[in-house]
Amino acid sequence: MRKRLFGIMASAAIIAAACSGATTSSAPAVSTEPGASAAPATPAPSVSDMADEQILRIDLGNEPPTLDPTQAQDSTSISVLHAISRPLVYLDKDLKAVPAIAESWDVSADGKTITFHLRDANYSNGEPIVAGDAVYSWKRLVDPRTAAPYSYVTAEIVGAPELLDMAGADPAPTDAEIEAALANLGVAAPDDKTFVVSLNTPATYFVTAATLWVFAPIQEKWITSPGATEAANYVGSGPFNLDTWDHNSQIILKPNPEYFGDQPKLSEIQMTMTAEPAQAQAAFEAGELDMVSPPTEDIRRITDDPILGPQVLQTPQFGITYYDFNNGNGLDRCADLKVCPTANKEFRAALSQAIDKQSFIDATFSGVGVVANSMVMPGIPGYLGPDYNPYPFDVTAAQAHMATALSEIGVASVADLPKLKIGFNTGSGHETKVAFMAEAWRQAFGLETEQVGSEWSVFLQQRTAGEYDISRDGWGADYPHANNQLGGIFTCGGGNNNSQTCIPEVDALLAQAAAEADQDKQEELYKQAEAMIFDAASALQLRFSIATYEVAPYVAGITQTGSDSQLPGDQFFETIYILKH
Amino acid sequence: MITYIGRRFLWIIPVLFVVSIITFSLMHAVPGGPWDREKKLPDATVARLNAKYGLDDPIYIQYVTWAGKFLQGDLGPSYRYIDRSVNDIVADGIWTTVQLGVMAFLLSVIVGIPLGIFAALGHNRGPDYLSTSISIVGIATPSFVLAMLLIVFFAVNLGWFPTGGWKGPQYWVLPTIALAGFPIAVIARYTRASMLEVTRKDFIRTAHSKGLSDQAVVSRHMIRNALIPVVTILGPTLAFLVTGSFIIETIFGIPGIGRFYVTAIGTRDYGLLMAMTMLYAFAVAFLNVVVDVLYAYIDPRIRYS
Repeated sequence: MRKRLFGIMASAAIIAAACSGATTSSAPAVSTEPGASAAPATPAPSVSDMADEQILRIDLGNEPPTLDPTQAQDSTSISVLHAISRPLVYLDKDLKAVPAIAESWDVSADGKTITFHLRDANYSNGEPIVAGDAVYSWKRLVDPRTAAPYSYVTAEIVGAPELLDMAGADPAPTDAEIEAALANLGVAAPDDKTFVVSLNTPATYFVTAATLWVFAPIQEKWITSPGATEAANYVGSGPFNLDTWDHNSQIILKPNPEYFGDQPKLSEIQMTMTAEPAQAQAAFEAGELDMVSPPTEDIRRITDDPILGPQVLQTPQFGITYYDFNNGNGLDRCADLKVCPTANKEFRAALSQAIDKQSFIDATFSGVGVVANSMVMPGIPGYLGPDYNPYPFDVTAAQAHMATALSEIGVASVADLPKLKIGFNTGSGHETKVAFMAEAWRQAFGLETEQVGSEWSVFLQQRTAGEYDISRDGWGADYPHANNQLGGIFTCGGGNNNSQTCIPEVDALLAQAAAEADQDKQEELYKQAEAMIFDAASALQLRFSIATYEVAPYVAGITQTGSDSQLPGDQFFETIYILKH
Repeated sequence: MITYIGRRFLWIIPVLFVVSIITFSLMHAVPGGPWDREKKLPDATVARLNAKYGLDDPIYIQYVTWAGKFLQGDLGPSYRYIDRSVNDIVADGIWTTVQLGVMAFLLSVIVGIPLGIFAALGHNRGPDYLSTSISIVGIATPSFVLAMLLIVFFAVNLGWFPTGGWKGPQYWVLPTIALAGFPIAVIARYTRASMLEVTRKDFIRTAHSKGLSDQAVVSRHMIRNALIPVVTILGPTLAFLVTGSFIIETIFGIPGIGRFYVTAIGTRDYGLLMAMTMLYAFAVAFLNVVVDVLYAYIDPRIRYS
């Protein structure tokens, strides 16, 4: 069974940058290069083209774990939340922050205070959305008692770091201490229409981060009532209402008459929950679904199929597949390079240069994806560009690096090294990818590896603990900023530093970049830091994601973005309509 | 007799107690926890979540807390579906699962037993080979293969049934067949073997020599006696079917509880996992007792005291 609960990198939601720009298309389009526009925009729909029944049938894959905006963290929940809930600001089709519940905002001269001006808008229950609700929901997000997974996105707000630290404090803080800290949080509602946020640093990306689903204003009396997220009780603010939620079976959305923006064209969205992708694919082929994300192993069959092929829609996503080398920082066993050869830079360089990334993508991703030579994704400021690559595929050069590495490590040949452990999680299709890497290294150097497949949670624990020499990894951007692709992943002791990398100069550059108000200078600093990480061969970037979907030809008005969480256009369900067919 | 039955049912309690202890310890001995994500949650958040759900207490305290609530009918919170309690999740899905299980059970009995009888009566001739072939295919074909074949053929190609979902009788057909495939084969094999054994018994020869018609011998003497061993496997089969199938529910997108047996392990959703295990253990233990009691009614030679 393929589990998509935590699927590779796409599972955590992606709020990402303007990479491809957005495309509004009804015609299926194929784009292979991030940066390339996927399809020409279609003209506005004329009423005569539209079907009488405006019902869209899609598959969510799984039951959303929650529809509480503060608690959501997975692509399934977020896909639904995009339709039924709106934050103060939202991303437009080009992934620029645009007004939503707030009709405008001002940034103070020092860049540390943002004032949002709310429009006259109502919740789906007809009650007005007031600034006090935003204060409540932002405090709830950072409140350690909520233990919200995405609480860290508030870190720039005055008073938030203290609250975030409280979460793990031992002994646990008392309610009074938490309330006192919450009172100091830099969010305020001087009146019903004004919401003010105070930041610790001039965080240039904060307005973009504020488009995340977790920042939606919510009514306290609603979310604290029993069964708040059930369909009968749900109070949302998006273009659609949660009409029905049959758990593990289906969700039905209907237009929200109270929505502040234009009413959606669809009269209904039916979302089924089919855990097995092959079944969803069969349902699409049987005409029961209008959109589907096909199983990877079916992609070649589908693209070659005369009927299904033209319905394929491929779109770049802000995700990256990479492999961690164990750089050994903080690990006792890595003090001895003979035990932990990946702690040697030349050794990592040799492994990097022995991999033909395009062949890897062709062989293991059905050719769908773009070669990655940067951690920051194309379109996000800080992207290194296709030209910078200190370690291009070159077996001869790789062997030269390996010879240097062996002499630095102090062994005569690779046969004297321990079998390197390549870690991966089983059951998600990583077997073939790991086998590709292992075979490439065996052919280039005669290097023998042990491919260690473990159950998901076990794998994560061991990867964090640095027990593998090499491990698979992936990342999806939370918000379109280099900070999100580098900080935490390559900083010394960072929470997602699975490669045990520690380069103090990189940490210093990233800290300097985060505080830099000038965007051009900031971008330059991020690029410098990233080049330094790349030069050290800390990890092996392989592939920027391209998502493959199938869309029935009568589904039009899809507003695709690089940050679609599950299906094309799922950030803008309100623009989709059904053609006569 | 009544005391015997009462005693047997009371024995279920210690069985469940032992099952709960073993499951609880194994589940917490497995590395990882409910908060593992590809993008790691900050350590502070994990600590806070553990404190919130009592997961930082020593294991025995956690067990006592769980058991106390369990006895009061509170199955605890789900760590995966955070808006909902395990009680809600189980209550939502259990009747769908039971309905599917009972339908598959009836189908496997209605098809499996006649198939076995048919095979035995035509022993080593055409009917036997036909029935045996069907059974072998049934046993050898994993349910997900059967399910996908049914979907491709009857839903995608012929369009007779929907590919999945659970919205009305036409949605029940394919999953019931897919789920019943294996038990049909097993029941047919048991029935055949048992019938053949009975055929050679003295009382059958006696019945024939009394001048009874073949039909009377088969229906009155052979089948009744041959079904006793079959009843033995019907108990566990029913327990297996009504507690749900991960594969069938996943493939057909059925909103039952069967899929949680597997997903709850992967997500370390401890409360849900315990609930599923206890439910299954109870179903197996309970139905085994029921089967034992039924023996006495089917077979006059068996008497409990």
